[in-house]
Amino acid sequence: MARNSAMNLSDWRRRIDEIDKKLVELLNARSQCALEIGKLKQAAKIPLYQPDRENEVLANAETNNSGPLTDAAIRRLFERIIDEARAAERDAMHSSSGTEKNEK
Amino acid sequence: MVIVMQEGATDAQIQHVIDRLVASGFNVHRSTGESHTVLGAVGVHRDFDHRDFELLEGVREVMRITQPFKLASRQFKPEGTIVDLGRGVKMGGPEVVVAAGPCSVESREQIFSIAESVAKAGAKILRGGAFKPRTSPYAFQGMGEPGLKLMREAADKFGLFTISEVMDASQIQMMLGYVDIFQVGARNMQNYFLLRALGEVRKPILLKRGMSATMEELLMSAEYILAGGNFNVILCERGIRTFETYTRNTFDIAAIPVIKKLSHLPMLADPSHGTGRRDKVPPMARAAVAAGADGLLIEVHNDPDHALSDGAQSLEPNSFTQLMAELRIIAPAIGRRIA
Repeated sequence: MARNSAMNLSDWRRRIDEIDKKLVELLNARSQCALEIGKLKQAAKIPLYQPDRENEVLANAETNNSGPLTDAAIRRLFERIIDEARAAERDAMHSSSGTEKNEK
Repeated sequence: MVIVMQEGATDAQIQHVIDRLVASGFNVHRSTGESHTVLGAVGVHRDFDHRDFELLEGVREVMRITQPFKLASRQFKPEGTIVDLGRGVKMGGPEVVVAAGPCSVESREQIFSIAESVAKAGAKILRGGAFKPRTSPYAFQGMGEPGLKLMREAADKFGLFTISEVMDASQIQMMLGYVDIFQVGARNMQNYFLLRALGEVRKPILLKRGMSATMEELLMSAEYILAGGNFNVILCERGIRTFETYTRNTFDIAAIPVIKKLSHLPMLADPSHGTGRRDKVPPMARAAVAAGADGLLIEVHNDPDHALSDGAQSLEPNSFTQLMAELRIIAPAIGRRIA
């Protein structure tokens, strides 16, 4: 990046806005995968909650982490991403099976 | 619901809790802290019992976010319930409504004399018991239906509404002809069969807090009546049992603002039972109005020293009139008025 110390507050904020745009795209792409997985789990009658796989995702995230966020911070962020993925999978499982047994 | 795991809870224990939450239909928000893992569960069902999770291995604490009482909750009706008795008398609005009268109806002369003086002093409702739940089976048990009849006559003559205690579901039909408000006494607060029966009635119900009931238990009892479709429920603080014996009960004034915040139902106060002593009634009545009570229930007797029940806590008509005059000064300070 050519942008450096000459950047002011609003420059940095613009930069964050650009990154956020990409993050939203990426999170939605990830969520699309979760929806597909939900359908497959429903078809194969696999339970929604897979702790081993969740641990693997968290471990991968920490392995890929090169800072400045700490591993613990990355873990917390990914816990929230996984929470939302689980909710998305649940929705996919319900809509594909046509049953609404967990009314809220 | 929020589940706090114990310090050092194992991954397997945490996973087991998440597994149970997911299977129960919750969406789980996991948050791993430095020492404790916290699990947020979103989407609680109405019939869910959070205690099931307190028993799981590794769980330290389970906290509910939503209240177990739904219809009684302030969220259900943020603007508050107004119980309209007719002729412009409304409970739960700006007016503080006072019900006064003897503990028990004893005779025609007694109830007419008291009705006349409390009506003059500004009371809108005549209280009086016909069936008395006395601690001793040998104490005066009340006049029964003839007492209710006298009370109705006295109330009609002096333009008052009536309130009287119902002890059993079998009395409801008979009492409908005499009372404008059914009172459920402290001892019957958790008589769920009676509460269900009163849910079917289309007259207001005044539900008194049990002498060792928590505020949540009071609201759960109100829930029984509301669930039957009777939305005219009035709550009443009347003192709870504590280690203090100087007063008959400990009058829990804090219950008034607490209940007003938790629930949309009108909240009354009964300083007579709350203290059990005549000279303590006016100060507690003043405090209750200042604390935001929507009304008062006060025992007044024309001859307290010879009353057949609760004479010690009954005010004489003159003291009652003086108390009403004092309350008329206090009420406007918090934006209320009193007749």
